[in-house]
Amino acid sequence: MEEQGQAPASKRKFGQFPWNYREGISIAAGLMALGFIIEFATGSKGVSIPAWPTNLFILLLFVGYVLAFQILVKHPVKKWLSSTPAAITAITAFAFLTLLMGFIPQSDKNTFDFISKAGLTHITRSWPFMLCSFNLLLILSFTIIRRILPFSIKNVAFTLNHLGLWIVIVAASLGSSDSIKLNMMLTENKVTNVAFDDYGQAFETNINLKLLKFSIDEYPPQLGLIDARTNKLVSGKKDLLEVKKDYKAIMGDWTVSIIDFIENAQKDSSGFSPSAAYGSAPAALVSTFNNKTKETDTGWVSSGSPMVYPKNLDLQDNKAIAMTIRKPKKFASEIRAYGKTTDYEDFTVEVNKPARFNGWTIYQSGYDEPMGKWSKRSVVQLVRDPWLPVVYTGLFMIMAGALYLFWHGRSKNTTKKITI
Amino acid sequence: MTWASFPYFVMLCCGLWLAGLLLLIPKKKITERLSIALIIAGIMALSTFIAGLWVSLERPVFRTLGETRLWYSIFLSVISLVIYYMWKFKWIMVYCLFMAMLFLFLNVLNPENFDKTLMPALQSPWFIPHVIVYMISYAFMAAAALVGIKGLYLSYNSKPVEGTMQLADNIVYIGFAFLTLGLLFGALWAKVAWGSYWTWDPKETWALLTWLVYLLYIHFRVHKNQHVRLALWIVAISFFVLLICWFGINYLPSAQSSVHVYAS
Repeated sequence: MEEQGQAPASKRKFGQFPWNYREGISIAAGLMALGFIIEFATGSKGVSIPAWPTNLFILLLFVGYVLAFQILVKHPVKKWLSSTPAAITAITAFAFLTLLMGFIPQSDKNTFDFISKAGLTHITRSWPFMLCSFNLLLILSFTIIRRILPFSIKNVAFTLNHLGLWIVIVAASLGSSDSIKLNMMLTENKVTNVAFDDYGQAFETNINLKLLKFSIDEYPPQLGLIDARTNKLVSGKKDLLEVKKDYKAIMGDWTVSIIDFIENAQKDSSGFSPSAAYGSAPAALVSTFNNKTKETDTGWVSSGSPMVYPKNLDLQDNKAIAMTIRKPKKFASEIRAYGKTTDYEDFTVEVNKPARFNGWTIYQSGYDEPMGKWSKRSVVQLVRDPWLPVVYTGLFMIMAGALYLFWHGRSKNTTKKITI
Repeated sequence: MTWASFPYFVMLCCGLWLAGLLLLIPKKKITERLSIALIIAGIMALSTFIAGLWVSLERPVFRTLGETRLWYSIFLSVISLVIYYMWKFKWIMVYCLFMAMLFLFLNVLNPENFDKTLMPALQSPWFIPHVIVYMISYAFMAAAALVGIKGLYLSYNSKPVEGTMQLADNIVYIGFAFLTLGLLFGALWAKVAWGSYWTWDPKETWALLTWLVYLLYIHFRVHKNQHVRLALWIVAISFFVLLICWFGINYLPSAQSSVHVYAS
């Protein structure tokens, strides 16, 4: 990497070796332009990565090609491919596409405009992205080969970082078409093996799942001062009052006190009373005192539920006290899973706590949200990602490299001891 | 302890820090020691507030932008002390502490709510390391940006920049290590929470972009004497990309569907 960038550019014609930034920029920009042209010409369909085992053949072919090139070819372009200017220009091109992705919403809803025709609404699947990634990978490959053969302990950090990144890029991109993600809608006490992909297509899976029980823990609701005409909060979010018996807060001109709180209530003639019935709603008995007019009010406030109509406490000046809908703290599904060969297995999945069964990882994904805690349904996601161990190997190598970088850092003086 | 007592802690903390900085002016051993002691006392005051808030909210205080600003202030002040201890740069200390105070004032001006809720996706053992590692990295990168600007000033006035570049390299290397860990912890967490380690969510895209621009800086520094000015521009501008990733993203049209917008 040392000598490459140092030939004075002015004495060298464009294209004449050793190459430098000018050539690097031209290659990266050329590939990107070519990518946009192909994307446009092929009807903006993007690239699809082939699935197993074709992706493995492509990988072997690529590695074989790079190795053969390294061993057999003596052309100066080989030196260029592992040079810093090549790396910098390739990273810049990749960063440029990432920047576009950072500004342009990535969804193909506006299929007719120029931006989506150039592939910019599905950048990660587009030809320019593919070609720029390939350029980056090629340069990364030659850089790695040149530095790690023959292996020396000095190059540990370099190897961990570069080879780790190489593994992540290869496994994440080539492996993407082998990963499967399906959504399965479960209903309490019913067994199903049918799951849907993101496009709504149904698949029969090799596992049968039965939802034994779906449960939600909720945070307490909150009270806020709203404009009764618009139903919008008048007081800021910081003025929301957690609903708990005897809690008190000042909202605008009013002091609001909570006299009573019923977690599960139904409406009756006197207001609200406790109830164990399906679809009950939280309700609070609230008293207000207007600090200016000295008027007082008392009444029930409820956020409502699918079965109970919401209730606000109306005050003067078109203001009212309203209750927020309770936010979920935790939701979990108890599931019984039947495989083809196994008898059955019971487990619980919740957000951040997936379970594994028959080669699938099962994630808690959603529930019947309008029904809230009364939901009898649960949506789980079934994921299969055979390349994951490979990707993780790369990730952990990069992490080890980062730790190494942290402990040793750049050398204290300007002579180069460690490079990453 | 709640946000209501926050302004008092800010006054105490800033008072201690300002006194500490003033004591750095005379070049005497005794005032320098006293100064360090005052700055540490300021950090302790702020830590006490964070600890109290954590207890009163009954959840880790990492969820909202205001809460991350608290951690940022803490890490900036600690890192300024470390850099001072290692390399004796007073101006870094001055800058970092003023930056830390600025972030504390931002919190006084935009008071946070008492919201105790923490959505299920955030309830994970990855939550704390992910955010802390990122905040440490951001604090280092802020220091690096300042070093970069100083280097640019020197460079455009035809003064030597080697020492400054060395400092910038050191800080960026450490910051980049933390940035990498933050990004990858995020990926490992995402796999457990959402089933994919990478979904090109807008926040992820910007985080990758931030990582890439610092990666560019590091590669530019392979040849130490080439493109020094460009490298300095990169380290200064990279911090803007970082800020977009941290705050700016909430205002971008591309990010309206981001799963990382928690505070709304």
